[in-house]
Amino acid sequence: MFRCRDVGQLLYEYVEERLEPPVSQQLEQHLADCPGCLAFINTYKQTMRLSHELRCDDIPQELQQKLRSFIKTKLSSARPSFWDRLRSRLTGT
Amino acid sequence: MAVTLQDDELIAKLQARDESALEALMVQYQARVFGLALRLTGNRQDAEEVLQDVFLAVFQKIGGFRGDSKLSSWIYRITTNAALMKLRKRPKVKEIPLAEELGPAMTDEGMIAEPVVDWSRLPNDELDRKELGQRIEQAMNLLPADYRSVVVLRDVEGLSEQEACEILSLSEAALKSRLHRGRLFLRKQLADYAVSQTGVNPGPQHV
Ligand SMILES: [Zn+2]
Repeated sequence: MFRCRDVGQLLYEYVEERLEPPVSQQLEQHLADCPGCLAFINTYKQTMRLSHELRCDDIPQELQQKLRSFIKTKLSSARPSFWDRLRSRLTGT
Repeated sequence: MAVTLQDDELIAKLQARDESALEALMVQYQARVFGLALRLTGNRQDAEEVLQDVFLAVFQKIGGFRGDSKLSSWIYRITTNAALMKLRKRPKVKEIPLAEELGPAMTDEGMIAEPVVDWSRLPNDELDRKELGQRIEQAMNLLPADYRSVVVLRDVEGLSEQEACEILSLSEAALKSRLHRGRLFLRKQLADYAVSQTGVNPGPQHV
């Protein structure tokens, strides 16, 4: 017989679908008779779903531009400019 | 509209210092990098800085990229490290309770000793889903960095366990325990909120 404590200990593996089928079935049998564990698992899964909804998929246009001008500045300062090259050629350094 | 290049082609061009490849890389990854940075730091300003630093670092370090992992994993790893560095500069968040303390109280026989409210199925007029979304965002920011990083990579971003372990240099066991405890913490925060909103009286010790 599964106790609520066992459900708590196997909760992660159950949700991640890592339990052996017979163990998973026993756990589900407990859930069928135990509204507390069922509510707990449902709200645990709901929490995962809500987390996933926090995934943000767009980036503001203005930020994209900012990123490009940042990169441009960094890359051009890392590279000697035309004038730097000219100066060093003229001064022979 | 920039063409999406295959990873190996993109890597080769980046390694040849091709700046148009950097543009293609940004088009492909900027939203993911920003989103990840935003969730990890919980702060728009920090996420913007991470975004810029990541693409600069990728372009500077691509010469050393040997293809041991996917390009995306490598970029997520750089992003995660940069974001966690920002987090570590902030005052430390206090530890979260242990897993057992985040679940329902148990009797000595190992049975649940208190009512548990199932707020996952409440209709929107009883428990506003948008509000719930804001609550979980706040709760996420209460998680210490070690927990937040696993929850963000696995549950928010939906990466595989293996990929998350690789990015965070964590063992499977460590990832599992942090992820579970992080989820329990978030669940508890949401449960406390849901119960306070719906006026369901779950008894003296609500969970
Ligand atoms: Zn039970």
